[in-house]
Amino acid sequence: MTNNWKKLSISTVVLIIMIAVPMIIDLGTGIMNQLVTLFIYILLAEGWNLIGGYTGQINLGMAAFFGCSVMVTHFMWVAGIPIIVSILVGSLSTIILAIIIGIPTLRLKGMYFAVGTLALAQALQVIMQNVFNRSIAAPGNFVQAYNLSYRYYLGLAAVVLVLVAVYFIRRSKLGLAMVSIRDDEQAAQVTGVNTFKYKVISLLISAFIAGLAGGLYAYFRLFFYYTSDIFSLTWTFSAIMAVVIGGGGTLLGPVLGSIFLVILGYIFSLTLGQANLIVFGFLFIVVMLFMPQGFMGGADLFRPWLSRWRKKPGPKKSEAAEPANN
Amino acid sequence: MENVLQVILVGILVGGLYGLVALGFALINGVMRFINIAQGSFIVLGGFICYWIVTLLHIDPYLAIPMVMAAMFIVGIILYRSLFSPLLKYPKAEMRLDKSLLLTFGVVWMLDNLEILFWTSNSRSIITSYGFGTVQVLGAALSYTGLIGLGLAVLAAAVLHIVLTRTYFGKHVRAATEDAGAASLSGVNVQRTYLISTGIAVALAGLAGTVIVTSYSVTPGGGISWLLTAMVVVTLAGPGNMNFMIPAGIILGVIQSASTLFVNPAYQQPIALIIFLLIIMFRPQGLFSKGVKGL
Repeated sequence: MTNNWKKLSISTVVLIIMIAVPMIIDLGTGIMNQLVTLFIYILLAEGWNLIGGYTGQINLGMAAFFGCSVMVTHFMWVAGIPIIVSILVGSLSTIILAIIIGIPTLRLKGMYFAVGTLALAQALQVIMQNVFNRSIAAPGNFVQAYNLSYRYYLGLAAVVLVLVAVYFIRRSKLGLAMVSIRDDEQAAQVTGVNTFKYKVISLLISAFIAGLAGGLYAYFRLFFYYTSDIFSLTWTFSAIMAVVIGGGGTLLGPVLGSIFLVILGYIFSLTLGQANLIVFGFLFIVVMLFMPQGFMGGADLFRPWLSRWRKKPGPKKSEAAEPANN
Repeated sequence: MENVLQVILVGILVGGLYGLVALGFALINGVMRFINIAQGSFIVLGGFICYWIVTLLHIDPYLAIPMVMAAMFIVGIILYRSLFSPLLKYPKAEMRLDKSLLLTFGVVWMLDNLEILFWTSNSRSIITSYGFGTVQVLGAALSYTGLIGLGLAVLAAAVLHIVLTRTYFGKHVRAATEDAGAASLSGVNVQRTYLISTGIAVALAGLAGTVIVTSYSVTPGGGISWLLTAMVVVTLAGPGNMNFMIPAGIILGVIQSASTLFVNPAYQQPIALIIFLLIIMFRPQGLFSKGVKGL
């Protein structure tokens, strides 16, 4: 019980810092941009975590859900509909894609779900590239009214809502079913879990969260030079990398991974240029091979050395909180 | 009428290549139950290696095939030693599949960016003196390179079939495919079998890359679309159904080629996606499998 209070108080403090600091201090456009990017990554990663980390189905098509929501949100917003409504409609539109791809592929075991989602993302990329063969931009008055702090607070609100939702999903019957599917699908089926139903529900929620990320991106960026960039494999890869590096199947793992990625991307893209992406790929493989649980589980690897600090529980929490308030 | 014939014959040529692309993917998937998402990127890498050999040594691209395949075989061995063999410690097949999927997805990322670093993001192709030559078949023009590609694909599939059914190595592969534990007990060196199968699969990607770089072009980052083709062909043929990769590839090639009569040729991947969805909805065991396997 005390542990819960501790967690709650720490997260409240972090939240208050995240809300208050941009109000009091002017952080500058650069850092604010990085923070909004961080929120987008956290949302994407948390969405992937739900289907990939908790339910154990590898989704290689996050870019499809993300991009679909970006397009829908952008065009609705430009047409004059309030941004929150546009983001919600954009996120709901991803559910159509999720149903198209999820219902046929999730019935089968093996590679079909991964193939289907990857093919969906690639097909959408090709279609959108041909339909919208010019760059997409919002009209000038949207650019004039641009205010970064709105994006920041909307992103923060979305991240908090999603984290709370994932926390409660994990503790509900749905979460239990999801984890049982990941651990042993056959056993879950024998015990009477309708695995197909729960896999589809998990995919739908995951697609919705990816849609939120897309909506936030459409609100954040008013101008898309190449349509194909919105659907590019990079989004899928960022989401997967954040989850794997942070630790799949945990609530804070994706957050930790996203923070790590954004900071590392910020450092390496300046110093290494093109090679910075290779560093990410290498890091991803090394973490997969030697730390299958990611950073969240990696704490266990070093626990023997840290045994004298064992009396202080929750190093993960403070670790996750520290880089966030930079 | 001439158009239709032309489209069908071109579809057959392209389909042979699709079958070749799928062979290596199917070998790794069938033998080890691993998914090699990086197969497409290996194909592109093979194409670039061939391009390099041809521009540096000024020899015919088809004479470079042994060198390309040998180089890619080594790449395959590195791949197995560094990434696949650590995965064998996971007891459950599903877990291995998921882990290999994610790991090779990281390899795709690294390879695509390495290729951009080495060869820039331009697309490359090898132009030979006979590259533009065509053969007239019943009024339809077929390129020499396409015909050679089809021939190489059929040859590779036939050699692989003979190796798998007629040699001791093939027997080991089939034994390890059926039951790795039992094969290991009866004296099959399962690790070595896996190692060589991975090497052969990646070498086949090198062969496919050579065919692609001579008749089309390779682009860094273009690997994913070849991979999707391979996956759709494997789904069409039925997983583990090595003998039917070329026919399944030809079916996909003809469908895609025929679709250009009605829709924009750019929409090849959406069509592949639709075929994939139809197959897994109505015949998840593949077109050529008889019984339903434990999928």
